[in-house]
Amino acid sequence: MTAAIATEGLTKRYGHRGPHPPGAGGVIEALTDLSIEVREGEVFGFLGPNGSGKTTMIRLLLGYLHPSAGRARVLGLDTEHDGLAIRSRVGYLPGGIALYDTMNGLDLLDYLCRLYRRPPARRAALADRLEMSAATLRRPVRDYSRGMRQKMGVIQALQHDPELAILDEPTEGLDPLMQRAFYDILAELKHEGRTIFLSSHILSEVERVCDRVAIIRHGRLVALQEIGELLDSRKRHVEMRLTGPAPSLAGVPGVSGIHVTDGLVTCQLEGDVRPFLAAIDGAAIRDLTIEPAHLEEAFLEYYAEDLDLADASPGRAAGGGA
Amino acid sequence: MDRVLFIRTLQAQRSKLLIVAVALGIWGVLMPLIYAQLIDTPLGARFKEMIDSGLFPAQFAQFGGGNLFTLPGSIALGFIHPIFVAIVCVFAIGFTVAAVAGERQRGTLEVVLARPISRRKAYGSLLGATIVLVGLAILAMVAGTLASSAVFGKLDELDLGQVPLLWLNTVLLYIALGSVALAASVSFDRLAQALGITLGFALVSYFFQILGSLWPDAEPLQPFSLFHYLDPAAILDGTGDPFDLVLLALVTLLVVGWALVVFPRRDLAAPS
Repeated sequence: MTAAIATEGLTKRYGHRGPHPPGAGGVIEALTDLSIEVREGEVFGFLGPNGSGKTTMIRLLLGYLHPSAGRARVLGLDTEHDGLAIRSRVGYLPGGIALYDTMNGLDLLDYLCRLYRRPPARRAALADRLEMSAATLRRPVRDYSRGMRQKMGVIQALQHDPELAILDEPTEGLDPLMQRAFYDILAELKHEGRTIFLSSHILSEVERVCDRVAIIRHGRLVALQEIGELLDSRKRHVEMRLTGPAPSLAGVPGVSGIHVTDGLVTCQLEGDVRPFLAAIDGAAIRDLTIEPAHLEEAFLEYYAEDLDLADASPGRAAGGGA
Repeated sequence: MDRVLFIRTLQAQRSKLLIVAVALGIWGVLMPLIYAQLIDTPLGARFKEMIDSGLFPAQFAQFGGGNLFTLPGSIALGFIHPIFVAIVCVFAIGFTVAAVAGERQRGTLEVVLARPISRRKAYGSLLGATIVLVGLAILAMVAGTLASSAVFGKLDELDLGQVPLLWLNTVLLYIALGSVALAASVSFDRLAQALGITLGFALVSYFFQILGSLWPDAEPLQPFSLFHYLDPAAILDGTGDPFDLVLLALVTLLVVGWALVVFPRRDLAAPS
């Protein structure tokens, strides 16, 4: 199967001309040696805080930026040489999309679709899902709220039924109901075999909709895993209330951080749950809670260093670069 | 050139075109009207006596090579007057500077270039729109001038065969300025930078030409001005220099060529 997106050692430096080494005066390395592969038909999450290099990566894929080193292929085509062919098969939602305020919604969608030379095959369904009525679309864009602009952004990116959708912070400004509608749209696209590359810093969103996730930190890839695998490798928090003696959990595989107080046992559980369940079998348990692992914990683990620095010097923002 | 982008650009500018065309049409009407008043009325005759007496410097009535006391001279004056220059620059500089740098700053360029349009095609569409807009705006001025000359019965004082050449030379001058503006627009990330460079270039260029026409010692500066290569009085007299057209076309081609090389190679910064 061809990768929908494949990058090899993709690097982007700003503020220099010529092959100066990274770290030279005035050079900012927004993306460093990034190699990832997004499979066809998957929903791929690209995670990182603001300034970590997510948008730089997207701008490289779409040809707005030229790589300083490495290469990228989208739908099997080289981003440096086949930009037009790539963009004719891709739909893109920029973060914080800007629209032509003087046009009305329908004219704007027509115009942007005509530039693709493709019919707006999905427009009606998308407008319906996102509750953008014909009357709303006839209003000037300058009258739209932030949420409506974001809906317009989603429609313009997907209306021509692209093979690959690149979405930068797609639910920014959408209310919870519209977020849910958007997730349904993603599920539908995935069901129809479309590939979705979704950049976000909303962890619950990525956890909910993505098959795999890449975590980027200071422009470098720090993790690339299936969401399920990533969560499996995280520790779950266990709380057990007892009416009798506490079961012995010391030495049980995957169990750590055991605390026993009056009628209450708490611990961390990692990996396979079966040894833990076997260890508590027969214990006088009144209540048992195993909190599922969240992507947030994995994410925070990768960013622990930044958080430590931020704690050490208040006011300093994590991340840098693009 | 991308047809969809070209048409959309023209549509977006149509209100501005209408306003500028009306303003230039009125300006075009004004020059033959002033000439008719100076020639046909006692007040005009007294004014001519005053100028001829040497009370005012001769340059006052012959600003930039024009002449208030001949029809071709007054029309020429209209074509180099700062008011005319300022109005035409709405398109030649205002529109072109904002066309790329402004859209990039706002973020709308990102949405357009996410479509399968090469940067060269996008540039070609904007340049094409600039040519059409400048051409139509100056046509309105020419139409106003001819209509006014006809109304005041002065059309026979004009060699009508030279009028298309005057239109062409004027259009070429402002397209050259527009191409400089568009080149600045594709070269800078921020609108203010592109606008500053272009306005600076246009103002210095205009200043050199006018200074040279008012002060003989400054004449050597004139060839460095793009405005030097539009001599409406000479064109209407039938003594225009074809080199002016060639030079303006060459400047345009050079600047366009430079922009076509630079624009596709540039990194497009994220919108601010």
